[in-house]
Amino acid sequence: MDRRSLLSVAGISLAAPSLIVPTLVRAQPRPFVYHSVNAFSGPFAVSGKYSDLGVRAALKAFGNDLGRAIDYRRIDTEGNPAIAVRKVQQAIGQDQARHFGGAALSNEALAIMKEIGQAGGVYLTYVGADEVTGRDCNRSTFRWSLPTYGAVHTVLQPLLQQNPKWKRIYTITGQYVFGEALLRNAKAVMQPQGVQHIGNSYHALAEKEFSGYLGNAMSSGADVLLVLNFGANTLDLLRQAAAFGIKRRMAVVVVWFSGLDTFQALGADVTEGMYFGLQYWHGQDTPGNRAFLKVFREEFKENPRFYSAADYQIAMLMFDAVRRAGSDTPAELVKALENHRYEGLTGEEEIRAFDHQVVKNYLLVRGKGKAAMKDADDYADILSTTRAVVPQAASDCKMTPA
Amino acid sequence: MNIYLFQALNGLGVGMVYFLLSVGLSIIFGLLGVVNFAHGALFLVGAYAAMSVGGATGSFVAGLLASFVVVALIGLLGERLLLRHTYGMPHEAQILITVGLAFVLTEAVVLLFGPEPRQVPVPEGLAGVLMLGAYPVPIYRVFVAGVCALIGAALWLLFERTLFGARVRAGNESARMLSLLGIRVKRVYALTFALGAGLAGLAGGLAAPLRGADPAMGAEAVVIAFVVVVLGGIGSFSGPLVGGLLIGITQSMMSTLWPEGARLAIFLLMAATLLFLPKGLFGRV
Repeated sequence: MDRRSLLSVAGISLAAPSLIVPTLVRAQPRPFVYHSVNAFSGPFAVSGKYSDLGVRAALKAFGNDLGRAIDYRRIDTEGNPAIAVRKVQQAIGQDQARHFGGAALSNEALAIMKEIGQAGGVYLTYVGADEVTGRDCNRSTFRWSLPTYGAVHTVLQPLLQQNPKWKRIYTITGQYVFGEALLRNAKAVMQPQGVQHIGNSYHALAEKEFSGYLGNAMSSGADVLLVLNFGANTLDLLRQAAAFGIKRRMAVVVVWFSGLDTFQALGADVTEGMYFGLQYWHGQDTPGNRAFLKVFREEFKENPRFYSAADYQIAMLMFDAVRRAGSDTPAELVKALENHRYEGLTGEEEIRAFDHQVVKNYLLVRGKGKAAMKDADDYADILSTTRAVVPQAASDCKMTPA
Repeated sequence: MNIYLFQALNGLGVGMVYFLLSVGLSIIFGLLGVVNFAHGALFLVGAYAAMSVGGATGSFVAGLLASFVVVALIGLLGERLLLRHTYGMPHEAQILITVGLAFVLTEAVVLLFGPEPRQVPVPEGLAGVLMLGAYPVPIYRVFVAGVCALIGAALWLLFERTLFGARVRAGNESARMLSLLGIRVKRVYALTFALGAGLAGLAGGLAAPLRGADPAMGAEAVVIAFVVVVLGGIGSFSGPLVGGLLIGITQSMMSTLWPEGARLAIFLLMAATLLFLPKGLFGRV
């Protein structure tokens, strides 16, 4: 476990009175300990690198509002759920840790949320697996990102309405729980719109060579290639799709895209003209995002990536809940978070009480050409923002009442 | 053009890259008996060397040369400083050392370049597609397949028609006899390891515009390299060529026949080979 204490607000504020009354022994308020769980090393270290910046931005933005120090500690999962569980158990057992945030990978989050739930802690995450606020929901866990239902509806519905000539869709889907959920939701959107799903190629998580699947898409005569995977799979697939000139044959729509980091990894030549669904984009003009950008750019002299934004948001939610509750007791924090409405990064956001899912905007953007980019990070135009969440009646979450 | 013909041709191109990726592994094991688990990391370093030098000089060819030279030098150093001391030891020692080397190289790349995946542009003259009937094929993929074929031919000439090649082949049969004939076997070992490493680096340099450069690419590459070598036969030159082509074509054809099983199929092929031909198709060890 890596430990970082970045603020000693209480220490500073209490130093002055102690000089005036030196004979009195003053008890220092116990610092609030926040554990950020992420892959800070290993193949997914990129998420940890940027999530760390996000938490540090939140510490800076929150300043002294808590009236006590915030002790920020990092738990390095190495991108491995087994290691994540072991280290979280260790933190709970040895350090009495109860306040957690983060995890970029769904399998890690699903594993540790059970541990934190059993220990009666509080955990905020932003992974995509539907189960987090669906079948596996628990009282301790909150999720900021919209899951697959919202992503698919936000991206596909407006595009199909605006492009009535799109009648045939071919999908390439990651054969894992997340990909299956995207595919299931995509089919549900296509059917009522009279759009034909003419074929699908599943691929493995470890797949790097997508040319064969792209051949299938090209031979299908589809109007749209719908990409239903994430991370490195999406990067490899899009890079190869552009090389094969797919964009000249059909529209390319990516339902779930990380954001600035992945635009940078591909370059505008690849992403130009493609459609993407995003949880966060630094170019969105909202009061919450303006405040975040100000702090982040001052601190790090760059634009935030998705992981920075997400970790900033969940850390801010946690710190703010402690402030509003006047306590860091997990039960009090859960109460403070439920039904909480706030100015979030994507506009006004609200945490549903019945499944602990944040209702927030999801963005549909289109990749820009190099010539149209106003600055080095101006990769996309926002086409629309929509908040679509699974209605309570259709939710798989059966939360045990407190 | 029929989709299956397209997939077969596409598989040939993919297979040539797999050949180049794995031939160094096969050569190293054939002569030195070293199971080189750092092979994927050498591929990774090659990609980053090509990206850096190509980016700094604006020359794609300079980047490719750098991918070979830099990684060959790393291989040479690794052999002289580390592996040379393990030749008399059981394989476990070499596995531990090469796995350690892989970690060091990967983390060094992360330290120098950061954990983010990087874009490596296709050289301007090789951008665009060729049409095979209704199917586009990227010109760069055709170029890579051609370069791999040329390298394969050059390697064949090196091993079959030169004194160095004769020494490597002789060393493969009996290093002790080679030494008794007055040949400096240690030098042959070092040069062979450097050549094998350099080929992994060159494969990384060629693959970078196809797949970008990212710190995780080595781990995936070493898996494919081992599958190809096990299938083709450890220690032979023709093994990786046939193995690479078989894997490439199988993977590509299965993408149409049974997409969800495309990756599984290459491992099934390897398992079947191990079961019925434990030495691989052309194995000598």
